[in-house]
Amino acid sequence: MVDLGLTDAQEMLRNNAHRFVQDKCTREVVREIDESERGFSESLWKDISEIGWPSIVIDEQYGGMGSSLTDAGLLFEEMGWACMPSPLHSSSVLSALVLQQAGTADQRQHYLPLIADGNRIVAFAFSEPGYGWGPESIHTQANKVGDKYVVSGTKLFVPDAESADSYLLVARTRATDVSGSGLTLFIVDKEVPGIHVKEVSGWTGDKLYEIAIEDAILTEAQVVGEVNRGYEVLEPILDRGTALLCAYMLGGLQQMADMSVTYSQNRIAFGVPISTFQRVQDMIINIVNDLEAVRWTTYEALSMIDNGAREQDIAEAVSMAKIVASEGFTRGTENAHYVHGGVSVDMKYGLYLYTKKSRTLFSYLGDPAYHKKRVASLMFD
Amino acid sequence: MDFSTEITYSAEQEKFRQEVSVWLSENAQIPAEFKIPRETGDMSHELYNWVREYRKKLGAKGWLAPLWPSEYGGGGLSVDMAQVLEEELSKRKIPAIYDNRLAAPAMMVWGTEEQKQRFLPLINKGDVITWQAFTEPEVGSDAASITTSAVRDGDDFIINGTKVYIGGPFSADYIWTTAVTDQTSPRHRNLGAFYVPADLPGISFSDMELIVNVGKRFVYYDNVRVPGEYLVGGENQGWQVAQTSLEIEHGAGGSIGEGASRDGGVVAALFDYAQTAVDGAGNPLIEDPRIRDLLVEARIETHIVELIALRNYWMFNNQKRMTFHGSQNSLLRKLLAMKLGNIVLEVAGPYAMLNDSNWAPSRGVFESHQRQAITAHHPGGSSEIQKLIMARRLGLSRSKEEAAPTKVA
Ligand SMILES: Cc1cc2nc3c(=O)[nH]c(=O)nc-3n(C[C@H](O)[C@H](O)[C@H](O)COP(=O)(O)OP(=O)(O)OC[C@H]3O[C@@H](n4cnc5c(N)ncnc54)[C@H](O)[C@@H]3O)c2cc1C
Repeated sequence: MVDLGLTDAQEMLRNNAHRFVQDKCTREVVREIDESERGFSESLWKDISEIGWPSIVIDEQYGGMGSSLTDAGLLFEEMGWACMPSPLHSSSVLSALVLQQAGTADQRQHYLPLIADGNRIVAFAFSEPGYGWGPESIHTQANKVGDKYVVSGTKLFVPDAESADSYLLVARTRATDVSGSGLTLFIVDKEVPGIHVKEVSGWTGDKLYEIAIEDAILTEAQVVGEVNRGYEVLEPILDRGTALLCAYMLGGLQQMADMSVTYSQNRIAFGVPISTFQRVQDMIINIVNDLEAVRWTTYEALSMIDNGAREQDIAEAVSMAKIVASEGFTRGTENAHYVHGGVSVDMKYGLYLYTKKSRTLFSYLGDPAYHKKRVASLMFD
Repeated sequence: MDFSTEITYSAEQEKFRQEVSVWLSENAQIPAEFKIPRETGDMSHELYNWVREYRKKLGAKGWLAPLWPSEYGGGGLSVDMAQVLEEELSKRKIPAIYDNRLAAPAMMVWGTEEQKQRFLPLINKGDVITWQAFTEPEVGSDAASITTSAVRDGDDFIINGTKVYIGGPFSADYIWTTAVTDQTSPRHRNLGAFYVPADLPGISFSDMELIVNVGKRFVYYDNVRVPGEYLVGGENQGWQVAQTSLEIEHGAGGSIGEGASRDGGVVAALFDYAQTAVDGAGNPLIEDPRIRDLLVEARIETHIVELIALRNYWMFNNQKRMTFHGSQNSLLRKLLAMKLGNIVLEVAGPYAMLNDSNWAPSRGVFESHQRQAITAHHPGGSSEIQKLIMARRLGLSRSKEEAAPTKVA
């Protein structure tokens, strides 16, 4: 029997999360973080860590909550609603899941409890100047010399690289061919010589960084998972991370609907609330249509993951959700700007935080074009 | 019909082009030490002063208002000559400052002869900067519902109120403002339009912080005593007067030549990017059929807006009857900006958001366009207001409405 409702425990989780962001992550706080040099707030991170959010998807044996992705999704939705900047997604989802899935016993014992406590932040260093999210986009080279790897290349558009203590680094150890992706994953602590982090400036939703790697020496102990089979490990984890990113975008879009409804009911023009103009109603209806499309494609993907669906079906559901979320969130902020008029571009009002976030997340973990190709090939090839 | 804006020129036009070109090479060289910022609000005072001086020199030749009669500070040129002038000017890429001529058409239509003689040469010769101040914190689209008041006291008016989203960088000499002159008269018959000297006692300003830095600010009128000679168009005619300004702001006058779509160079940057960048696998973007479609879409959409602007230029300057045309120009330009922003995002992905000195394509044109496109939706009336006006002019509303008078010559 179909049941699309939340359990009582999930309702409580969401309500608590909602209260938390309302209290600790107001629009002013987000603006302040956004304008700070690192785009990162120690104190907010401490608060999040205290209530255990960085441990949400980490297994209990490593000090995590071991929650379902649907539960984690509820947190991400609330974070998105508040437009909260934090390294939670890179560190506690993408990097943590990689370590948990493929790491050696030592790596898991060492990193996961630290990540779960919020005492270690691991940035996820995948994308490069030729932007893309398939294995073919990785050109950073890791060459085996004796029992070491010498790594050179450029990572670009990496969020959280400055506030991170470590990186989950994706590099090429062989050409992609029928035997596998040829990629290898490394866990790298920040002190390694030959690695330079530099902010890439722009109107971006999160601060983004370039990581220039020049003959950095890594050891075999830093390899995570099987050599040359890195993307095989990554692909399902990228799907999980993408599903949670969609939940974040869903929250952002919910905020666009909330702000637009409230503002339009209170703003008077021509003697009536602007919400009574059909043109304004159309804009808000468009937001709500996008919102519900993002909501249910995202929930479906998360629930398929929790219910152990076939990886291929998960991949298809996640890619569809990301297409809908990328387009819906971007369009939703656009509509919210229309509804609000001039005040929408006033920085004090803070709508722009969502605007630039939507445009940054549009491409992150794959833009609609990438995911459309993926869905088409899952369907027809 | 002849769409060419460049193909056939008369000998007279070519001679004039030569004159303009020579003059510009002497007067339109921005000193190399000035950094040209992307946004006018980020201009240095030195650059701003240079641009103002340059505009005064242009104004002295009548070239700021080429089609206007010379007795009012214009150039008295024919459309053919003005076209050549626009073409030459647009090649020089002198940074724009706030369009301070918006008050001129209304002054021309509604001002007394004395006001025209006094103010129009100042505006048209670039001697003064005028900011248009209609919007208030509680009133934007519904510009007739403003509450700023102008109470008559002898020959003067005492103005009180607050205006928002006003102005441009640095300072103004005059503020072109609307205020309620008659609290008891019905809507549209209760306003006055004032050309207020900006240095009158009781006027103050505070900065706004918008996502595009164009120097916008609040204007506060605190018991400002404005002599009656600054009221334009009579005591309860302010709504009608403001309509003339807005008609022009919407784009009734059209534009011609390069940059008519006012896309800020984003399309050129897009084509450039697509022809040089590669995707993750190292394949040139320009070989991807999806990208090619998007580029052609950008070209078509932009070209349509250029043609609409050209249509208005032709209609306006040949005394054709205009109805919905001004608002259509504005509407399509606003929609185009958003559409181009989305196309850029699809083609350039995260590069669309960069202004980084190393990594941003075309030195950040994309990033700035993303912010501009969203911002441009509001000034001069939102898309919805343009649609509303179009509908009225098309006879789709309860009452059919005519375009406000704008004729200059
Ligand atoms: C960058 C910038 C520069 C500006 N420069 C100036 C300037 O120099 N001088 C100046 O005076 N003002 C200026 N403005 C103000 C601008 O004109 C107003 O923002 C604009 O008219 C919209 O008004 P508003 O912001 O109050 O929105 P509102 O009027 O509150 O409108 C909110 C929403 O309601 C919709 N709406 C309102 N009425 C209707 C209706 N009847 N039917 C359907 N929908 C409707 C609008 O389309 C919009 O979506 C500027 C604004 C910006 C952002």
